[in-house]
Formats: sequence, structure tokens, C-alpha cells
Amino acid sequence: MHINLRTNFISDPWFLIGASFTTLFCLIALIGPILSPHDPWEMSFDPISPPTIEHILGTNDCGQDIFSELLYSIHNTIFFGLSSGFTTLIFGVAIGLTSGWYGGKIDLFLMRLADILLATPSIMILILAASFFHPSPITLALLLALLMWPTISKVVRANTLILRESLHIKAAKQMGASNWYIIKRHLLPEMYPIYLIGFTSKIRSAVFMEASLAFLGLFDPTRKSLGIMISYSLKYYYLGIWWNWLMPPIICLSVLITATTFLAISLEKVMDPRLKESLGDNLA
Amino acid sequence: MNMKISSLNVIYKNKSHCIHALDKVKLEIKAGECTALIGESGSGKSTLANACLGILPKNTCFSGSIALDNSPLNYCNEETINQFRWKKIALAFQNGAANLNPVQKIIDQVTEPLLIHTDIDKATALKIASQSLNKLGLSPDQLLLFPHQLSGGQLQRVMLTMALILDPEVIILDEPTACLDAITKSLVANVIEENKHKNKAILLITHDLEFAANNSNTIAVLYAGQIMEQLPAKHLLTSPKHPYTMALARSYPATNTARDLGGIKGDFCLRTTHNNHDQPTHRHLTHNKLHGEHNTNHIPIDGCLFHNRCTQELTLCKHQKVKLIPQQDHHIRCLRNGIVNILELKEASKSHDGIVALHKNDLTIKAGEVFSLVGESGSGKSTLAMIAAGILKTDSGKRIFKGKNMDELIKYNYKSLSKQIGFIFQNQSSALSHRFNIFEAIAEPFRIHKITESKEELLVLVKKLLTDVHLPTEEAFLKYYPHQLNQGSLQRVGIARALALKPSFLIADEPTSSLDPSVQAKVVKLLLELQIELGLSMLFITHDIGLARKISDRLGVILQGQLVEIGPASLLFGTPAHPYTKFLIDSAAGLAKIYIDHNQTTTPLKSGCSFSMHCPRAREHCHQLAPQIKLHGERLLACHYPLPDYIKQHQSNLYIKQNISDQDLHSKTLSTIAS
Repeated sequence: MHINLRTNFISDPWFLIGASFTTLFCLIALIGPILSPHDPWEMSFDPISPPTIEHILGTNDCGQDIFSELLYSIHNTIFFGLSSGFTTLIFGVAIGLTSGWYGGKIDLFLMRLADILLATPSIMILILAASFFHPSPITLALLLALLMWPTISKVVRANTLILRESLHIKAAKQMGASNWYIIKRHLLPEMYPIYLIGFTSKIRSAVFMEASLAFLGLFDPTRKSLGIMISYSLKYYYLGIWWNWLMPPIICLSVLITATTFLAISLEKVMDPRLKESLGDNLA
Repeated sequence: MNMKISSLNVIYKNKSHCIHALDKVKLEIKAGECTALIGESGSGKSTLANACLGILPKNTCFSGSIALDNSPLNYCNEETINQFRWKKIALAFQNGAANLNPVQKIIDQVTEPLLIHTDIDKATALKIASQSLNKLGLSPDQLLLFPHQLSGGQLQRVMLTMALILDPEVIILDEPTACLDAITKSLVANVIEENKHKNKAILLITHDLEFAANNSNTIAVLYAGQIMEQLPAKHLLTSPKHPYTMALARSYPATNTARDLGGIKGDFCLRTTHNNHDQPTHRHLTHNKLHGEHNTNHIPIDGCLFHNRCTQELTLCKHQKVKLIPQQDHHIRCLRNGIVNILELKEASKSHDGIVALHKNDLTIKAGEVFSLVGESGSGKSTLAMIAAGILKTDSGKRIFKGKNMDELIKYNYKSLSKQIGFIFQNQSSALSHRFNIFEAIAEPFRIHKITESKEELLVLVKKLLTDVHLPTEEAFLKYYPHQLNQGSLQRVGIARALALKPSFLIADEPTSSLDPSVQAKVVKLLLELQIELGLSMLFITHDIGLARKISDRLGVILQGQLVEIGPASLLFGTPAHPYTKFLIDSAAGLAKIYIDHNQTTTPLKSGCSFSMHCPRAREHCHQLAPQIKLHGERLLACHYPLPDYIKQHQSNLYIKQNISDQDLHSKTLSTIAS
């Protein structure tokens, strides 16, 4: 089965593109700080100079190396996105499954809570929290997760409701399966594509959110982040720095998000045996 | 004259072991009645007949008493026996060819008892003999032939004539119809009828159940030397109370049952003891193998002899002695008082959001039977199946599974209940998770019940199940996903899964509706085979009435959530009493046209019969008042105006016409003998 999956993945262009870019970014996130030619906080270079061999992307207004800054920013953004996305997924799936499977009062309570959270603009809460308490980025990521789970849990709940009426779950129940067994062996694996889609979309939101918060200047201004880079560079766009200072963080952000989406689509297609059969390998 | 057999024991002694042929048999054969003795071959039927006549082999232990009108017969020596043998008790032997003298003419052999036991002269004796032979359809020419020149059926009739020739009080017929064709059989039936009128006591030994049911008054069922059940003849084929009688009835190709022949699980066993035990406290079951070798499994059995083939055995059945206990007009030797109900629904009802799926219904399913539920789609068949399986809860009413309250079982011990009920779903492609391959799908019940965790053991279990349902067991097949299999194989996987935990009750919800007839035939055959082999009780839900006819012992017809007719399948198919049942049967054959009463003035009320709009027999109050389900003979029926039993054929008294007068016959016989 694993061999089959591997060959299927390798022959899928969606996977190849998505995986290669995601791996690239993850690598950058992991070893970027080591690779960076300069200390991004060092302000000893000429400010706003165009790219040279020493400074591949030139320097910013404070005389910091933009390339090093970019590497550190990618590192920070990806870790923020991953931690926030992952926590959101865990919250969302746990709450959605509980709510959908057990139903009744538990369902009522959890879903009203979700409605309240959905109605609350999360950016507002984050801005308030960030400006009053100056939390660390990781706390902010967890806070974001606490605000973002309702969308995932609503989808998971809806699917659980469909699945609990499906025949194979009824069959398992008839055979005497416990709740935990059904959740573990049927419900959790059954909704695999949903997690991937949810996870990716939450990473995207988190990355965006991080960029926006940074753009609004709610993070520590010395923190390296794609949002802060965009925010600062925009102040000097009239100097013609758009291609070496503004574009790199924007391109990185877009490619990162596109790649994760590609990866999710491909995973879904290959992991679901029925989709694989019906779509064939010609989907791309 | 009544013949009374009480606590008759017969043990055949061999060099190495003893065979217990009869064990405390108690039987009363009343004058003017016919008592039939049925059972598998080897059950001791002929031993009983031979014991009555005192012609048991020399190495036989014999105890108990046989009495004629309360005076016990003396079996001490030949002389005493000869006083009643032939004159009072006569036996028509089973195998005509072996029991007739091959070098004597038929007529001489028939005359012989007359000449020996009475004082009449030869001419009269010949006349009497030829008359009686002629009565049974043998022509005068045949009387002068030798036994080898006659067919088996004719020889059988000769044996019968010999037994009857002295006009005995007690007539024992040992398999009189074994090699007779249907027409000649009715001659034997006539002889029995005639002798009943003459106030003779008749003991009919046969394995022809239908013949026994129609020609006798009471029937005793013998198994391994014990009477298992004694019942009125009319109940034999429709409502036996002992599991063995039911299984026998199912194995017999009766003319009015449509169901495929069933069988009895396991093999018949002889009861033997080894001679080296002085006291026969230890009994063994010996398989009667073809090659004469006796394969003894050393199981000491004090309990029910039938327990290893029974569909409702308990562990207690193996050890506890059981007596023949009277129960209404039956006598049953069963620890559980006859066939038990595996499932009882009492006033069970169910509605979804105000729509009534199932009205208050009573339903009982007996152990070991196949109960089919037929009805159109939307009539609540599947709801009933789900309720029976414990998947759905009932709104009201009681469910009793194997004598226990099912709702409580579901609440406190669902796992033990689910182990005993197997469920085969209609649509296996959705009942199997598409993420599970065949191995995982079949291993699921084992995993749920934590039978074993190790993959090797699971593999062995799964492969065994796959073999049982005739599927390949290769590794490659185990790795297939449900969507890669065809419907027939998927259904088999479903069956394998349902049988994994060795349930005693199987519910099949339209298991073959998505299959084409040839695959359906295979799957249904497999199901029935497994049903017999595992002794399962089965609730079979189908809309295919033709299929139900082929598989069911009993049938229930459901109409808009209400069971309208329940009864033995042969009865319901032969003479449907509810107009809806008839409508269903006709529709299945494409004969029915939906009847709509245009002239009716009143609109049917909700409380009325659901079929009243389409029922050609409906009258005014059918539209207003739904009939209650009531017992009509063998069947439960909910109808104000049931259909008349139109198939009740009066029995034709068939005689083969003889054109020769008695006088002609006599002279002809004499002249042929002279020449």
C-alpha cells in the first residue's frame, strides 16, 4: 500500500510543485538563520542601497541586510503559521467530533460557543491583546488558535453528522464498537482531507494574520517578520525599492500559501482511494 | 386391541462394544388409530418393530414390557411368541426382496401363514390370498411369478398382504412406502384407512413424513433410541415443537413446501458403550462411518442425545438428563421445553418525526428457523430489522432476546448482545468502510471485541471466514478495497463479517436485492448452507416474494408498518388468507392489477385497514376500523374478510379399477396353477 502511495505521489504534479516549495520554505525556516550572510539586526551598512554582491537584496532604511532579514522573517512566519494552524486543527477536530458524535447538550453548548467566536472579529481581539499585554508571538499564535477553531469544528461536526448515519459506522456500532473505537478507526481517518484543507487554510490565515499584525505595528518592531518588512518597505516605495525590498516578502508569502494549498489538494486526491479511482491521474 | 410398549430397552451386544438401540421407549398404539414412528435411519425404528415380534438377534439385551390390552406378552421362548406372532401382531417387513423366499412363488408364500396358523384348506387359502393381493394392485398373472421377477414396489405390496392375511389386531408396517411410487402409495394409505375402520391398531414406521402426517393420528419421533417428541399428526409439518422434528420436517421434500431442502447440522450418531466397562455409566457417541470403522469421540453424555446437532443447545443440555414431558397435546424431550423463541417483539412500535414507520407489532422468531419478512418498500421492513438487531430503539413495547430483556442488554451489556446478532446489510459497498481493505473489514469485529490483537492470529481467523464464504484467501485478495470487488463478492464479505463472531441470530436486510439472479442464487445458497451448518436462526427481509418462497420456514407480511399475516410459508403461499398477501404473490408474478374502488362513497379513515382502498373484498367498516391480528389455525391474520381457502382439495380416494370379478380371478388362478 505504501509503495502504491509513493508512486502515486511521485507521479502527481500537484504534489511535486506543492511539496518542493513547501520543503524549500521549511528548509529556509529551519536553516535560514544559519545561512544568512549577515546579522539582520546589524545596522552598520549604508541605508537603502541597491543590491550588490555582498548584499544580494540591498539594505533597508536602517542599513540592515534585506536578504538576511528575509530569511529570518520566513523562519518566524512559518513557525507562527504552523503552531497556530496545528493548535487550531487540534481544537477544531476535537470539538467538532465531540459535538457531532455525542450530540445533545454538548453539541448545543459547543456550537453556540463557536457561533459567538465566529461573530467576534478575531483581529480586534488580537489587536487589543497585543497592544495591552504585549504577549510573545507564540502566545499570540495560541490565542489566534483559540479564536479560529470554529470554522474547522463546524466542518468536522457536519461531516461527523453525515458519517454517523452512514452504513459502515452503523455496521460497526451494530458489531458492538465503542465510541472511542469508532472515533479512532472510522471518524478520524475518514475526515483526513478535511484536516488537510483546514490545516492549510488555517496556516494561511495565521500567516496572513501575523503579517497584518506586524504590518499594523503590533509586534515588537525589531522582530523580523514578512509583515513588518512589507510595512517598512511601503514607507519608502517612492525610492524605487519595490523590486528588491517590497517584492521579495510578498512573493515569499504568496508562494508559501500556494504551495501549501497544492500540497493539500494532492494529499487529498491520493489518500482517498475512491477519489483516486474516480479522478485518475489526469486531474492535473 | 391396544398395544402398550413401556420402558423398552434394547442393547445390541458386540465383541467390543454395545449399541444402545432403544432407550426406555414408551409408546401406546391405540385400536382404530395409526401411530407413526419417524426418525433418521439408525434411530431404532425397525428395532422397535422387531422387538414387538420377538425377532431380535440372539446377542441382544431386551428389557421392558409389551402388552396387548393390559396383558403382557411373553417373549420367553419361541412357543409363547408363536401364540401371538402373525395372529395378533403382524409385521410387514421393510425389504421385500430380502425377506421373501426366492424359490417360492408369490402366491404360495402369501398362502403359507394361512395354512400354518389356520385350519382352512388350500383352495380357500389360495382364494383369500389372491383376493388380498389383487386388492393391492397385483394382477393374477403376477401372483405366479417368483420374487425376483417382480419390482421392489410389487414385492413391498406382497409383504403387506402377507402381514394382513391373518387379520391381526396389531399391524406393524415397516417402511411400507419406501420403494413405492406415489400412486401405489395411495393403495397403502387405503389399506391403513380400511384397517383403522376395522378397529385395528397400526404402527407405521416410515421416513416419509408427509405420508405419516396424512395417514396417522399420532406421531412419535425417534432419535438414537429415544422418543424425542410425540405429537398429533397434523402438527408434524407445520408446527413441531422439538428442534429435531422441525429439522426433520425441513429435510423432507413435502409437496406443498416451496422452500429448498434443508438438513440437520452434524452427523447422526449411534450410542455405544465399550464392553470393558462393566457398568454402562459411560456412554459414547460413535460416528457411523462408511467404512465400518468406529470413530469414537469419548464424550460421556448423560444429557440430550441431540444436543450436538441442536440449534438451541445450552451447556446444560450436555449434562442434564431430560425426560419426555407432556405439554398440551405434545410430549417433548427437551430441556428447554421445545423450540424456544430467539426473539420476541411485543407491541414494538417506532415513528420518525410523527411518521409512523412501525405500528404496534408482535413478532416471534423461533430458534433455528428462517423467518422472512416481505412487504413493499416503505412498509417498515428495514425499521423492523433494525429494531430486531438493536440498532434502533423502540418507542414503545418490549423486546426479548433469548429470554432476556433486550433494552436492558443494550443499555448495560451491548457487546454481549452484538456478539450474538449478525447483521447483513443491503448495500455492502457502503456498509464496508472504503478506507478498509478486505482484511481490515473482516478483522473489524475481532478487533472490536478484542478477540485478538496479533496480526497473524487475525489472518488465520479472516482466512477461515473467507473459506467459509467461498472467497479466495490469497494475500492479494486481502488487500483489495471494497470498490474493487464485484457485488457478489462484496455480499460474501458482508456475510463473512456478520458471521465472524459466531452469532446465533442472523438478520439479513435485503442481502441480495442489488444482485443479478445468478449471483443472488449463489449468495442465497451460501446463506442457507451456513444457516443449516451453524444452526442459525434467521430474519430475512426482502421484497422479493419469489425468493422468500424459496428460503423461508415461516413468513410475515408487513403492510404499512403493520404485520397482516404471519404463518408457515407453505401455508401462506399455498392459501394466502389476507388479500394483501395474495396481491403480493400475484404482483410478484406480474399478474396483479391494482384495484381501485371507484364506487366507494366513504373516504378511508386513518384508523381503517391500510389496504382497504385497494382491496376487492373491502366493505364499509374496513375503511373505518383496522382489524386486529388474531390466530386462525396455524397463522396470525389481521383481516375482517379473509380469502376462503380455495386450495383445500378434498382427498381423492383412488382405487385402481379391476375389471376381473372375484370368481374369474379365482378360477384363473387355479387353472394356471394346475397347468
